[in-house]
Amino acid sequence: MSDASVDSEDIPLEVVSDVDQTWQDTVRNLLNAYVLVPGRIMITDYRALIGFGIVFGYLFVGTIGVWLMEPTTMWDGERLMQSFETWDHPLGTDPQGRDLLTLMVYGTRPILLMMFSGGLFIVVVGTIVGTVAGFSRGRLDQLLSTITDVALTIPGLPLVIVLAVTLNPQSPILIGVLLAINGWGGLARNLRSQVLSIREEDYVEAANAMNVPTRHILLKDVLPNMMPYILYNFMSSMRGVLFASVGLYYLGVLPYSQENWGVLLDQAYTGGALTTWSMFHWILWPIVAVVTLSIGLILLSQSTDKLFNPRVRARHE
Amino acid sequence: MSQQVVAQENILELRDVTVSFGMNRGVSKVLDDVSIDIHRGEILGVVGESGSGKSMLASAILDAVVDPGTVDGEISYRTDSGETVDILNLEEEELRQLRWEEIAMVFQGAMSFFNPTMKIRGHFLETLKAHDQDVEDGMEHARELLTDLHLEPDRIFDTFPHELSGGMKQRALIALSLILEPNVLVMDEPTAALDLLMQRSILTLLDDLQEKYDLTIVFITHDLPLVKDLCDRIAVMYAFDVMEVFPAGDLSNSTHPYTRSLLNAVPNLTTSLDELRSIEGSAPDPVDIPSGCSYHPRCPLSTPECEQEDPALEEIGPDQEVACWHHEKVDEELPLALETSDGVSAEVYEGNQSDEPVVSMDDVEVHFESDDGGFLSLFDDPEVVRAVDGVDLEIYENDVVAIVGESGCGKTTFGKTAVGLQEPTGGSVQYRGQDIWETKAGRGNGDRSYAEIRRALQIIHQDPGSSLNPNRKISATLQVPMKSWQSDLDVEDRKARLLAMLESAGMSPPEDYADRYPHQLSGGEKQRVALIRALLMNPDLILADEAVSALDVSMRVDMMDLMLTLQDLFDTSYLFISHNLTNARYLAGRAGGRIAVMYLGEIIEIGPAEEIVQNPQHPYTQALHWSTTDLDSTDETESPISDIDVPDPIDPPSGCRFHPRCPEAREVCASEKPSLESETDHCTACFREYPEDHPYWDSEPLDQETVGVTVEGESS
Repeated sequence: MSDASVDSEDIPLEVVSDVDQTWQDTVRNLLNAYVLVPGRIMITDYRALIGFGIVFGYLFVGTIGVWLMEPTTMWDGERLMQSFETWDHPLGTDPQGRDLLTLMVYGTRPILLMMFSGGLFIVVVGTIVGTVAGFSRGRLDQLLSTITDVALTIPGLPLVIVLAVTLNPQSPILIGVLLAINGWGGLARNLRSQVLSIREEDYVEAANAMNVPTRHILLKDVLPNMMPYILYNFMSSMRGVLFASVGLYYLGVLPYSQENWGVLLDQAYTGGALTTWSMFHWILWPIVAVVTLSIGLILLSQSTDKLFNPRVRARHE
Repeated sequence: MSQQVVAQENILELRDVTVSFGMNRGVSKVLDDVSIDIHRGEILGVVGESGSGKSMLASAILDAVVDPGTVDGEISYRTDSGETVDILNLEEEELRQLRWEEIAMVFQGAMSFFNPTMKIRGHFLETLKAHDQDVEDGMEHARELLTDLHLEPDRIFDTFPHELSGGMKQRALIALSLILEPNVLVMDEPTAALDLLMQRSILTLLDDLQEKYDLTIVFITHDLPLVKDLCDRIAVMYAFDVMEVFPAGDLSNSTHPYTRSLLNAVPNLTTSLDELRSIEGSAPDPVDIPSGCSYHPRCPLSTPECEQEDPALEEIGPDQEVACWHHEKVDEELPLALETSDGVSAEVYEGNQSDEPVVSMDDVEVHFESDDGGFLSLFDDPEVVRAVDGVDLEIYENDVVAIVGESGCGKTTFGKTAVGLQEPTGGSVQYRGQDIWETKAGRGNGDRSYAEIRRALQIIHQDPGSSLNPNRKISATLQVPMKSWQSDLDVEDRKARLLAMLESAGMSPPEDYADRYPHQLSGGEKQRVALIRALLMNPDLILADEAVSALDVSMRVDMMDLMLTLQDLFDTSYLFISHNLTNARYLAGRAGGRIAVMYLGEIIEIGPAEEIVQNPQHPYTQALHWSTTDLDSTDETESPISDIDVPDPIDPPSGCRFHPRCPEAREVCASEKPSLESETDHCTACFREYPEDHPYWDSEPLDQETVGVTVEGESS
């Protein structure tokens, strides 16, 4: 190899291609990188499969399920029918005769919207603040770190209660953001410390030497290394928003305009479902819905590491 | 060299030792039927490239192979009283006593061996107590050992590990391994992480220790020339087996083709540069070792016989065994390239070096302030590390400048300043007469934009593991430079160009390499990609920061040849940073470049490569030259430095910075600083170069005794 003498005539720096890439090729490459390879990795991991199945099931119920089912009204069925008594009301009815299954299905959509908006808010704000603070030195870093510290020290629950009462938000998306308003500090802090070490990697310095714009370095060289952690955080923040919303509805702090699982829990509790066996199914099904979704998210987040690991990716191409 | 007390008594005998790991790809044999005798009182060097199984041999001797590895075969140890112990069949408790009391081990990473929260004294006490030894006697012995290793026991005992430099830590570790007076000391690359000068100093100390305490030492290393003067016999390992054993005194005793090729692939200070040949191919996978002689796919002498039958070790002389069917033909076919070069024969790539410098640095200073105390340290004086302190250098087109120095001398910081990645705290760095940092701040006086300057100055890093983004394929990584300055190229053009570049760097088929992730490349291939990435910017100057140091010995020449071939093609200059005079000589010598020697932030000698190597003037350059062993030299010289530790860069010595370690230092050296001026192109900053009327020649020599025993620490 040492005497690989290169002909000075065809200097590789001057080479140009005579083929043009068609848009079909581009689409195929993108499809391969973002759908096929992740898909192949997922299939090998049962946790990913179960997690993906559960989350996809909830998404299906929350979008198409709502469209397939008629909304329930009072006295749709008899009062307090037990679960699995009739096929008309498979999960039973509440004391006002409303169909529990329909209530659960209609409750899915606002909960999913809340979780998604809240999780997205935390991840976007936390990632931007954390990476920019970690990558820039000096004043900007100090400023962003101070804001993060302040956000971390504000007690979350009282803030959410105060904001919920003053703003009185109706849209589930707004409620999600409100619940997540204080959750980005930890993520930003952790990402900042990771960026501090990635910043010193040789390939980041090489990119600097090539005059690559800072935003490209952040996107291509810094972020991919933290993607498993960010995705994991996205999943766990969504779980956090889910628990917070259900809890706060149950406490009656959040204003409710639509039925959802938290509202249902609150009604069941005040209706005495915890002390009366015949009403137990009323409080059981919202709990089952929350727990199953939470498990699905945990399983999915555990498998995200593999999606971004180049060693695993290389094996599935 | 040691005296062999009892002739040929074997203290350790290894018979058919095999270490295997079950993997999902198959059984991985990381030691393959190794049989070797270790004589009492000898120093045995075990030499091999990375991945040849040499560290596994050390673990096997102590029966310390990690799970799920299994050891088969027989290892017997003969105690002082003549009993024979079968190491592989010992009970847990017997094994615990054998380790450290009979056979001790020194590991490669002294940095991670010590518990950072425990003082050095604690480590000694812990070892003594764990083996139920008399603590007072033991500590007395420890003091003696530390003094033998040029350390002050009282100071060392009361320091935490982080307060010691790498060399001091390694010496403390050697003392710790000898505290229980073992008979055998197994050392696994004990000096690989240290500078050459420190390496050589430790080896000299080891030689003394071995004689004084009557030790048997197994010294494992990848660097054959390094141990040739220390060892009595050398065992060469390749592909998990011992290829040959030969008396170390004369390297021409070696009769295995692999040893010969390895020796001919290593740059040294005397061999003519044209004689160096790298070994084709790569070392085999432990799962799939070639049938017959494991070296036959790479061996120039291989015949069908070699492919079918594995030669066993065969005794061909006193202390000499070789496993090769063709060892008689070796002298004829593969002579050792030891002829001293006459300086003319070397093929020199002659570039048209311009008179106008590409990069010129004028009185450059880089000082780092430590401000880790935050708000509370506001009123303290910050400690200033003078990484680079007043350096001038001009680099021309098609030039190669090699910077040589010990670690911590500021050579990397200086290099990064030269390519505009580190802002100097004083002086100026100019690209073709235009100040880089003024331009970046928008106050430039020239007509070049900062982006243009940035394109012209590129970097290749030391560590192949971190020089490429692990998450991007090679083709994506290599498209970055073209996106950066040739936006008129579309995706297909970029791909075609990077494939052509990969091809020209000897990586074929290029389509296959372009589609890989960095972890699917070897270290050498990663460095090639990093070189291509730098070249795709079409730069005028590339900073190669120890670009070959992390590669295996047999691949370094390859990489440097590639750098030179591509320099010829692309008209770039290199600023090559190395701690190793031989690599610097090879690269700078072939390109007709210069070597600059740095010490504590200053250039102390600069001149044409062969001139610096053959005729070093500064006492420090001479010491560096001494630390680089010649393959054919047989004379053992005394260490040319009087103190083996580098002074603290926070508080450098006054006057000439080398004076505390300089054997030629006189009183005037401690107060006045020599300058680097000369009429010729070989400049030396030493008073000994000054005319006879300089006060140096009348000044008194410094009292060496007091300087010699003082141990300069990193903490002040």
